[in-house]
Amino acid sequence: MDKQLARPLDDGRDYRTLGIVTAFILLIPVWARFIPGDVLHIDIVNVMVLAGIYACVVVGLNLLVGYAGQISLGHAAFFGIGAYTTAILCTRIHGFPTWLGVMAGAALSGAIGWLVGKPVLRLKGHYLAMATLGLGEIAFILFQQLKGLTGGTVGILDIPPLSIFGLKFDTDLKLYFVVWIIVMALMLLSINLMRSRVGRGLRALHSSEVAADAMGVNTSTYKVQVFVLSAAFAGLGGALFAHFQKYINPESFVLAVSIMFITMVVVGGMGNIWGGLIGVLLLTFLPQVIQAMPQWIPGLPSALQNFSNYELVLYGLLLILFMMFLPKGVADGLGRATGFTEVRARRLGDRRRAKKLEGR
Amino acid sequence: MRMGDRNQVRLLWGAAALVAVVVVFTLIYKGSTGLQWILSGLTVGSIYALVAMGFSVIYSSTRVINFAQGEFTMLGGVMMFTLCTSGGLPLWLGFLLTVGIVTLLGAGLERAAIHPLKDQSVITVIIVTIGMAIFIRALAKWIWGTDPVKVASFTGDKPLRFFGASIVPQSLWVFGLTLLAVVLVFAFFNRTLLGKGMRAAADNPDAASLVGISASTSSLVAWSIAAAVGAAAGAVIAPINFAAYDAGAMLGLKGFSAAVLGGLGSAPGAVVGGLVLGVLEMITAGFAPSGYKDAVAFLILILVLLIRPQGLLGKPADVKV
Repeated sequence: MDKQLARPLDDGRDYRTLGIVTAFILLIPVWARFIPGDVLHIDIVNVMVLAGIYACVVVGLNLLVGYAGQISLGHAAFFGIGAYTTAILCTRIHGFPTWLGVMAGAALSGAIGWLVGKPVLRLKGHYLAMATLGLGEIAFILFQQLKGLTGGTVGILDIPPLSIFGLKFDTDLKLYFVVWIIVMALMLLSINLMRSRVGRGLRALHSSEVAADAMGVNTSTYKVQVFVLSAAFAGLGGALFAHFQKYINPESFVLAVSIMFITMVVVGGMGNIWGGLIGVLLLTFLPQVIQAMPQWIPGLPSALQNFSNYELVLYGLLLILFMMFLPKGVADGLGRATGFTEVRARRLGDRRRAKKLEGR
Repeated sequence: MRMGDRNQVRLLWGAAALVAVVVVFTLIYKGSTGLQWILSGLTVGSIYALVAMGFSVIYSSTRVINFAQGEFTMLGGVMMFTLCTSGGLPLWLGFLLTVGIVTLLGAGLERAAIHPLKDQSVITVIIVTIGMAIFIRALAKWIWGTDPVKVASFTGDKPLRFFGASIVPQSLWVFGLTLLAVVLVFAFFNRTLLGKGMRAAADNPDAASLVGISASTSSLVAWSIAAAVGAAAGAVIAPINFAAYDAGAMLGLKGFSAAVLGGLGSAPGAVVGGLVLGVLEMITAGFAPSGYKDAVAFLILILVLLIRPQGLLGKPADVKV
């Protein structure tokens, strides 16, 4: 049995961490000013907005994958539904409040999540992966084919910037604060959820669905609920994405994006809220860093300057190496390396020992 | 036979009848055009079947879904181009070399990146295979460039007439290779000691290792077979489809769909799944606006899974308490 279940969850550690992380992240634009963009060749604030948008999706997906133990290879679809909803509302209806468009995106995404989640979540493991992957592909094809609504492969252009009660968030810096405050709110929601009855039920579901069922946890309802929540989070992220980029087309919602979200969860650390955040930051910045790297070295031959040729080679290789050396995610590796979360590491140790005793 | 089994069998017959009705309807309604669709469906379906077999072999030995499976097929195509079309090697030699090189690559990747992870969770291994897919694709883009390449047909391009429809001779090579691969893989897992041992290792690695069957060898052999089958599929389809560095993703997706449709881990299931998927896809492409062809294929797939969660020929999973 999972040791974590037996332990009371009221030490408040997560709230303290959330406070520190929030303060740190909100200060990033301040110290980013001291590193001018032409030194790193990375626009930190701009990339951080994108990371925040991805974080909305990954926080929700981590609840689904890491806590409830259900996989989804179709979350780019919900990301897209959120984006298209607000884009269509705000470009077709003149003067439609953009914040309402974002809310509508999240709501519609959650509603569709409920519609498809109810039948599909009866499937397990790889079959669930396949079904969600199929749904993602169907959504992608619909984005391409419903030309009257979505603009086909061209997509939707000239999406207005986000504005809330007359305040226009039309620069990266302004949007940065909106996006990251939303992310922190979602994280707070997740932490609270995991400490509640539902959270304990979900963990039980992850360790053994049959046992959880027998103990009176309504597993099928819980699964659908957490799926809807993660779909709504993804829709919210997608809606913010539309207002950030100011244009969208189906290419932003392909299978590779769904896979990227799952990869962020796993690389960061499944079932660890902070892990998800680390995964997002790492995998959003990694391509940017790889791209910018040759410019850090002055006087590099031009053949090596053009890095785009082997950018993905390096990305794939690093992904493999990360999983080989930190198979439980960066958060776990970081925790063990620094001893910062010693209690947690011990708990993980216990869990592994427990698994060994349990046998196959 | 339990009651449940009988229901399952009835369901299977139902599914078979449904496919048969669709096929017969297409033939009656569209005549030789319909036959043309079905023949093309069988050709692409055979390729899906071969890719699906790769998925199945690795899944049944290690429980891992190999996201790099489509890339082996892509490599088969572009390597045929390099060896035969630009290199001028005879076809049979080029084919054998292609399969050989990709097999070595598959075995090498297994030893380098999968073997060290033997105690890790399945999802960790799956993410590693995603990394492999990205790595191989990027490497192929670097080596072969972005333009699709054309490989010459094995035995000419003169189409054969068949009841008003036509079929290129290369399709016959595709059918032949699929048949050969199924027979070989099936015989390996059911007739050889190593193959039987691998099935035992998949079933219960601890018990199998007690009687001297190593899960490590099993994984290595599974990856080699999967790479070989994938490369062979890519080499034989290259003259029909263009070969390009980015062909792997779609092939992998379709192959995985076919494997799940037929029942993961079942070699005959992979073939049935591939052929059914290919034929239904081509028929829907004929009737529906072509943009929706894949959407219909995936919708059918999801419906099949909802009715029969373990796929057409898969065995229902035992629930461990």
